[in-house]
Amino acid sequence: MQELDIYIDKVKSLPPAPRILPELLSLLRKEDVDADRVVNLIAFDPAITAAVLRLCNSAVFAGAEPASGLQEAVTRLGFRQVYQLVAAVSGSRMLGAAQKGYGINGGELWQHSVTAAVAAQIIAQSNSEDESLAFTAALLHDLGKIVLAGALEHIYEELVQNSQSQQSALIETEKRLLGVQHAEIGGRLLARWKFPENIVSAVTFHHDPTGASSHQRLAAYVYLGNMIAYFMGHGYGHQAFALRGRAEALEILNLKPDALPNFMIQTFDKLQMVEMMVKVSA
Amino acid sequence: MSSLEQKIIVGIADMAVSKNPTVTLATYSLGSCLGVAIYDPITKAGGLLHVMLPDSNIDAAKAAERPSMFVDTGVAALFRAVYQLGAEKQRLIISVAGGAQILDGSGLFNLGPRNHEALNRLLAEHDLCIYAEQVGGLANRSMRLSLATGEVRLKVSGQFGETLLLCKNSTST
Repeated sequence: MQELDIYIDKVKSLPPAPRILPELLSLLRKEDVDADRVVNLIAFDPAITAAVLRLCNSAVFAGAEPASGLQEAVTRLGFRQVYQLVAAVSGSRMLGAAQKGYGINGGELWQHSVTAAVAAQIIAQSNSEDESLAFTAALLHDLGKIVLAGALEHIYEELVQNSQSQQSALIETEKRLLGVQHAEIGGRLLARWKFPENIVSAVTFHHDPTGASSHQRLAAYVYLGNMIAYFMGHGYGHQAFALRGRAEALEILNLKPDALPNFMIQTFDKLQMVEMMVKVSA
Repeated sequence: MSSLEQKIIVGIADMAVSKNPTVTLATYSLGSCLGVAIYDPITKAGGLLHVMLPDSNIDAAKAAERPSMFVDTGVAALFRAVYQLGAEKQRLIISVAGGAQILDGSGLFNLGPRNHEALNRLLAEHDLCIYAEQVGGLANRSMRLSLATGEVRLKVSGQFGETLLLCKNSTST
């Protein structure tokens, strides 16, 4: 734990904590969602407020009259839609930049994360489980990469050579070269940011879902969401496919491998909608 | 690329064909998908396809709506479209990239190899063979086809520069 904190504290340009996100997530999980509290929370953040209004008044959602205020916009869009938008805006702030240490260009980590989030959401939905939770955990699963990218940038050649010669997974190479890996770093950072335990655990074990013990179902959604993002080409960096197949992820969720192509088709369809949503609200 | 040249981007589960020599067809981030480029050096007609899944039986309705999502329906659509531009089957030079594969002992997550197998089977049924390919492994590749020359170039994510999959000389015969 201490070693993880040392790495996190070393990073000079850590993005600000997405403080709305964990609070909004816990608000939405209650039976009766308190609309006023949702509005008050969002109102803290001018950029998110503007995005909610823009989305509500875009051609996709607009009613006869444009929504005048945040309250009305939130009611019209619905909590789930609002939550996804908040997650998307917060996520793009944190994950939009290039990460040279991983050979990742600007926008690529974000594209990867959104694809994983949408895929995880679709799989959770098919099992009638909490889709917002799966979406959020998968959206943030690679957060640790923005912490480790700086350390890896200095040894990128070594990273490339090491991963090529050993044919090992990226997290194993990170562990060998740095003593820590991005999944555990991401989990630690989210814990410091007061995200709920289930998300912390799912992110920490997104490459090995059985390790997440009581949260292994959520971790398995993230694992498979991540995998689908790679399959669909939204996985970047050198030796992009250096991750291990975990049959357990399918077993935990009682899924057959044949189910994956169908989830990919649904992800493809949903992504086109999400891209439109992000475009109109940006 | 000079200003007279234009690049057409082919998205996932999509394709494009052209016989305009100023055009380059490009597709990004293939992942486990396959990029299939075909080119007729005489008419300079060619096409590029980015298929995601091996078989249209997975979702017949989707295949009808979007044939380029699947190897079987996508390749058929690609060939039909370049034939319409005057290309002839026996002259077509086929190159393939993508089909990346994770480190998977379980064999359950083998979509890249399955895409490749499906393509090989389909081409063999039609007495066609792949001229050049770079398939499998851990790399996420991007691919582009120049219609002026028939050259096919690849870019691997996380690496600098491009590599030549198919050069001009090999397509001039």
